[in-house]
Amino acid sequence: FIIFVMISVTVFPTNLLFCNTIFALSSGHGRCGVAVVRVSGPASATALRSMAGLTRSLPPPRTALLRSITEPQSKEVLDRGLVLWFPAPHSFTGEDSVEFHIHGGPAVITAVLQALGSMPGMRPAEAGEFTRRAFQAEKLGLTEVEGLGDLIHAETEAQRRQALRQMSGDLGRLYQDWSHKLKRCLAHVEAFIDFSEDELIEDGVLTQVDKSVCDLQADIERHLKDERRGERLRSGVQVVIAGATNAGKSSLLNTICQRPAAIVSPIAGTTRDVVETALDIGGFPVLLTDTAGLRDSPDLVEREGVRRARERVEQADLTLVVVDCAHLPSDAQEAAAFLLAHLKSILPETGMIPPYLSLSDSQLSLKAFQTQRVCGLPPVCLISCHTNEGLQDFVTVLHNSVKTLCGDPLSGAPTLTQARHRAHLQQCVTALAQYQQYRDTDLALAAEGVRLALTSLGRITGRVGPEEILDIIFKDFCIGK
Amino acid sequence: MTFRFLLLASRRAGHLARQQYDVIVVGGGHAGAEAAAAAARMGAETLLVTQKIHTIGVLSCNPSLGGIGKGHLVKEIDALDGLCGRAGDWAGIYFSILNRKKGPAVWGPRAQLDRQRYREFIQAELLGTPRLTVLEGSVEELQVTEPNPEEPGHHRVTGIRLANGSHQISARSVVLTTGTFLSGSLFMGQTTSPGGRIGDAPSSAGLSYTLQERLGLRVGRLRTGTPPRIVKDSVDFSLVEPHLPDKHPTPFSFLNTHVRCKPEEQLLCYLTCTTPGVERVVRESLHLNCHIQQDTKGPRYCPSIESRVLRFPGRAHQVWLEPEGVNSDLLYPQGLSMTMPPDMQLLLIREIPGMQRAEIHTPGYGVQYDFVCPTQLSPALQVKSTQGLFLAGQINGTTGYEEAAAQGLWAGVNAARWALSMPPLALSRTESYIGVLIDDLISRGVTEPYRMFTSRAEFRASLRPDNADLRLTLKGFEEVGCVSSLRYQEAVRVRDSLQEALAALQTLTLSAPNWTKKLPNIRISEVKTTSLTGVDLLQYRDVSFEMLASAFPECLSRFTEFSQRLKIEAVYRFHCELQKKEIERIQKEENMALPQDIDYFSLPVSLSQEVREILDRFRPSTLGAATRLQGITPAAIVNLLQYVYHTGQKERGPRRNKPDHKEDREEELCARNASIPQ
Repeated sequence: FIIFVMISVTVFPTNLLFCNTIFALSSGHGRCGVAVVRVSGPASATALRSMAGLTRSLPPPRTALLRSITEPQSKEVLDRGLVLWFPAPHSFTGEDSVEFHIHGGPAVITAVLQALGSMPGMRPAEAGEFTRRAFQAEKLGLTEVEGLGDLIHAETEAQRRQALRQMSGDLGRLYQDWSHKLKRCLAHVEAFIDFSEDELIEDGVLTQVDKSVCDLQADIERHLKDERRGERLRSGVQVVIAGATNAGKSSLLNTICQRPAAIVSPIAGTTRDVVETALDIGGFPVLLTDTAGLRDSPDLVEREGVRRARERVEQADLTLVVVDCAHLPSDAQEAAAFLLAHLKSILPETGMIPPYLSLSDSQLSLKAFQTQRVCGLPPVCLISCHTNEGLQDFVTVLHNSVKTLCGDPLSGAPTLTQARHRAHLQQCVTALAQYQQYRDTDLALAAEGVRLALTSLGRITGRVGPEEILDIIFKDFCIGK
Repeated sequence: MTFRFLLLASRRAGHLARQQYDVIVVGGGHAGAEAAAAAARMGAETLLVTQKIHTIGVLSCNPSLGGIGKGHLVKEIDALDGLCGRAGDWAGIYFSILNRKKGPAVWGPRAQLDRQRYREFIQAELLGTPRLTVLEGSVEELQVTEPNPEEPGHHRVTGIRLANGSHQISARSVVLTTGTFLSGSLFMGQTTSPGGRIGDAPSSAGLSYTLQERLGLRVGRLRTGTPPRIVKDSVDFSLVEPHLPDKHPTPFSFLNTHVRCKPEEQLLCYLTCTTPGVERVVRESLHLNCHIQQDTKGPRYCPSIESRVLRFPGRAHQVWLEPEGVNSDLLYPQGLSMTMPPDMQLLLIREIPGMQRAEIHTPGYGVQYDFVCPTQLSPALQVKSTQGLFLAGQINGTTGYEEAAAQGLWAGVNAARWALSMPPLALSRTESYIGVLIDDLISRGVTEPYRMFTSRAEFRASLRPDNADLRLTLKGFEEVGCVSSLRYQEAVRVRDSLQEALAALQTLTLSAPNWTKKLPNIRISEVKTTSLTGVDLLQYRDVSFEMLASAFPECLSRFTEFSQRLKIEAVYRFHCELQKKEIERIQKEENMALPQDIDYFSLPVSLSQEVREILDRFRPSTLGAATRLQGITPAAIVNLLQYVYHTGQKERGPRRNKPDHKEDREEELCARNASIPQ
């Protein structure tokens, strides 16, 4: 058995197919002095040569070498660090591989990742791709293989959450808009190819496409050049406090921050918008968000707050659900059932539920609730925000959860997502150039360019299948032979 | 072209030489004809049962073959030694390549056909095919029994029962190609009558019953329609725009160097268009039009004139007037499919320029019919639950002669393979449009009649009409067994010549200035200091292979037979290379079969309930098909992969390894082999 599957749910060929060399940050983010960037695939040696200034020869295999790491085109020095060369098959993936051990600051990491992404044949790794390649090369033991599904699941989830965060803002709207335009371009070219001989599809359709492709190309290029245009990226593990109104969410935020970041009052519905606070928990960057209490309210402002709260919960790496102990049934079994039902109403229905903590607040002494894990329940902590009783235990649990999350290099690292986006957008522009190149000589190859562009953009905004293109064609044209 | 006209000889049930066949094909339309011919070519003793022998190969609707996407299918059917390409070359009376200006990957070879000649060719071919018997009769029901326990499935087909009397004929496999006849009903104005085509008897309800009640297959309902036929002499040709065919007709078949019709004897097509009067007639007759009021799904791309003017009002729609044959007095008005009452049809066509005095020979009508949801089929077009039962054509929810013929051929191949105890075969969507067609059908199902478009093929740059022989003929002979050695030898010759020619071009290496000296009329960018090969040069828009051959006659002139193909190969080479990796990846996934009787709900791997339900509903045949299902996560694929990996190690579990069955099977194999005609 050596057959292997690259997990890609796309049916379209990707123009990533000639980018067979992948790279990714392999060390966790957060408190780290050294970051490791891994490269694997046929272009690894080229990457090493051009970024470590090794024009003549490659370093001896598996030996650390201290080099200046430079941007391949401008030769600007990005960092000084260790490089390691692992020629195939003696590497983790069984392919030619390179490791860059660089300083752990986000600026350095971003610069190195962007430099790698700018080189031909290179692309950011998909979720779990290094491990999959190792699997393919039969470098993994059976137990590791069994964990592969879970790993890929976790990584896909982290990427999905990360993408959701970025896609919900202005940037997301911009990308969606491009994707929409590109879809129409493709639909119109395809209509011209598949139907124009029998139907009244005028050449004017193509002139429109020419203009759209040209505009899109210019727009995306401008976007790629404009370094400042990026949105403010919320960095760190996203922890969201959620729960019913007046459960004590804002009190918890203030207790954790040890300062009054949010207004606390006994009136239900005091917090109406999201309140964000950046924290350092055991050395890991955390963005703690307080949200409006979840309830149906006639108040328009509060309703918007609830909508935002739900959105945040969906994008969260970790959700803290706050429950007022006064509402808990006294029987432990019933209490567990109550908590389960409550969690279900708060956490998103779709996708995987992120690891969460439930915690009850106030009047601690009144309820003798068992703190051990109940079947199906996440860890439960009891705290009093008045006396700070239980706070220390809670912070320990939170710390451990955050630490686990930070071990995953994909979570909470917007720069990584940004690097991915850049790479895909760059490929999109290149593919659109193929349209221009073949527009007058071979429309089939020109259309191929638009297809590839849409596939690249689809890696950010979601896949577009041939059926969707046909739908647009039939909506826009009267096709009837 | 070798063509021997054979006298039609009808054979009746009583005169059948045998009561047992390897393969029985039910239906003599485009799917049935290809299925029967393919099964017989595979070496199976085959019986084709059809209501009337003289309607075998009838063009029920438009008198044309090929087109964009459809032409690709015809070339592929021909590459697998099917009939329709050669029949088209025999019967064509107007040849043109559509999309000529848009790049060879999307060229659409197309021909208007002489209906009679087409039918005659197909009938003569079938009646002259060794191992193939044609029988007139109506099938009452399928004979079904317990499944072979060593293969997946809940039932096994053992033959058919004919309508008159209870005559039974047994077979190892049965291919159903019932077209629009499965619970078909005809619509014209306010009248409805049972049937699948005007002038033909409806098929029996027994078949429909067997499929739904006995085999438990899910069926759906679709509709289609056909325009009225116009009396040619009643059209004023001064008011319509004539369209000329290609000066040099290009044959469909890789075996033919020319078509039967002389270039100058080709007929013309005419273009006219609808007027506001047409729209008025449609609106005024709506209340008299049952078909259009129904909500059964019709095709979006071949709608009736009623749907067209209702969906896109206030504009002129094209109407093509196409010849029906050399000796035919009729014209086929492409674009005027309609179901209103005949008197209103006459009113409508007389609102169209050139047809103000037109007469209708046969009115248009609509058909509604049952189709079997094709997600219940395997890539071999076998019903997954029923061993030996194959379906092809409109019964699977497709529309079009070419789509039907393509499925027919592949179902015939696999029906024969099943009957002869050979493992089933699939065509990949990475190697053929036929593969795209079948994969789309079985993995997505249909919501409207499915028609081929080039935009459905991801690897359009690689799957071109010009290279269908290289893609399929070699495989068809070496792996499948449906291609004659004559055709195979020709394909090998072509392949070797193309390779030699490309190698010769590759070794022709000159610097840019030297190329300019050789080809003074071509602008070669002098910036390039590196030398250029002949292949590089051929990629230039204005460079043809002939030009290179006259510059280097000693090494190239012997390849001028392949000038056009070499030019295309050179231009597409880069793009095909790029697609190759992705193609290989998909093919690997498609090689990983998922057992068809797998119980996804109890599978001991980590899969969400939602994923299990999707897998259970669609029952993908391969891991590749599973990845294309909506809602299947990458993690689920990895978990499935592990399953395939483990079961692969254990020889696919105990089901296949029962020792007591093994001996039986070997005996059975010997018996079967003995019955294969040598």
